[in-house]
Amino acid sequence: MKKILIPIFAFAICLAVIWKWTYGFSAFTIYSYTLKEAGNSPRAFPDFQMMDQNGNVFNLKDTHKYVLINFVYLDCPSACHKVNNEIDQIYHLFSRTIVPEKLEFVTVSFDLENDNIIKIKNYRNLYGDDIGGWTFATPFQTSQHDFTRLLRKIGIWTYKVPETGIINHSLYLFLISPDNKIIKIFDPARDDNHTIIEQISKCLQEKKI
Amino acid sequence: MFTRKKDIILVLIILLFFVLLSFPLNDWLSASMPRHQIIQLPAMFLLGVILGAIFPSLNIKETSWGIAVLIFIMASFIFWMLPHSIDYAVINSRFNRIMHLNMFVGGFFLWPVLRNILFEIKILFLGMLSAMMLATGITLRAFNILLCSSFDIGQQKETGFYLIIIGFLLFVLTFITFFRAAGKKIE
Repeated sequence: MKKILIPIFAFAICLAVIWKWTYGFSAFTIYSYTLKEAGNSPRAFPDFQMMDQNGNVFNLKDTHKYVLINFVYLDCPSACHKVNNEIDQIYHLFSRTIVPEKLEFVTVSFDLENDNIIKIKNYRNLYGDDIGGWTFATPFQTSQHDFTRLLRKIGIWTYKVPETGIINHSLYLFLISPDNKIIKIFDPARDDNHTIIEQISKCLQEKKI
Repeated sequence: MFTRKKDIILVLIILLFFVLLSFPLNDWLSASMPRHQIIQLPAMFLLGVILGAIFPSLNIKETSWGIAVLIFIMASFIFWMLPHSIDYAVINSRFNRIMHLNMFVGGFFLWPVLRNILFEIKILFLGMLSAMMLATGITLRAFNILLCSSFDIGQQKETGFYLIIIGFLLFVLTFITFFRAAGKKIE
């Protein structure tokens, strides 16, 4: 009986280590691990100031609306632009009575070294003139190091590959409630536009009730 | 402990290779995913296997301990093949050294176990290891999402391709081992 326990014990220890390391077999990549580590939603969205494409400083907690926020960098070879194209489609699928009245879109650049207001404004112009409820922004008065730490708190992982300079990062979209809480997290790689719209609409309707 | 001079030299060579792979060559090996997963990780394991094979007196005869060691080896491979572990090993050099040591120790105990363990368990272990390599390789090859932030999608697919080949070769080895032993039993 005693001998049987040896492999069982070894198996239990190995299983426990992997279980702990993957947040109960739910986070196998560093992206999902960072998101899990940040905490379950609903949770408070960190308080920080941003500067929009017109140079205005703002804070998300002052908007008192639902906000769909994502994080990108403009020199990204493909993924960020694909996600922004998806957001562009989502934006135009909402009626004008919802956006920007109840829901706003915010895209934040986390590459403080290379992205400035002019670059962000030019990038935003690529999406046309009819995106009044979609703000492009950059963090205001913070260092790259501090903002990277703040991104971790939100649940976003970023890593700059030294050889190429490419920043690999999480692509999650966060839905922030009017009381500044992260209430939904979407993964554009898994969730299609209609699912995202459906989920956001559900949240907006719940608020009405 | 070392009765033969050549054994001592062999041990020193193995330790030298371990140090070389873990320290001066570490940056180069961590620079791409195929190098990290296909060269560094198996190299550490193989160095351990060779070191374990040098000691014929080192035997794990008890089946229960043998299975426990094989579980440890399998779990080590699973752990270091997780995208999260790969990323963290590239970013954190201390964590990377734990990987080196883990694989080396795992390899060291493999031979003393395989020398004595039941044939059926040996086949099961080899089969599971090859299946795991194949499954990981297919996953890395098939996914169009970047799983490890330290590398790029091209390297991810390349690693997947090599893992499929390694898994397939290991599968062939399992078959050969199985049929050779089965043939001997029939004789």
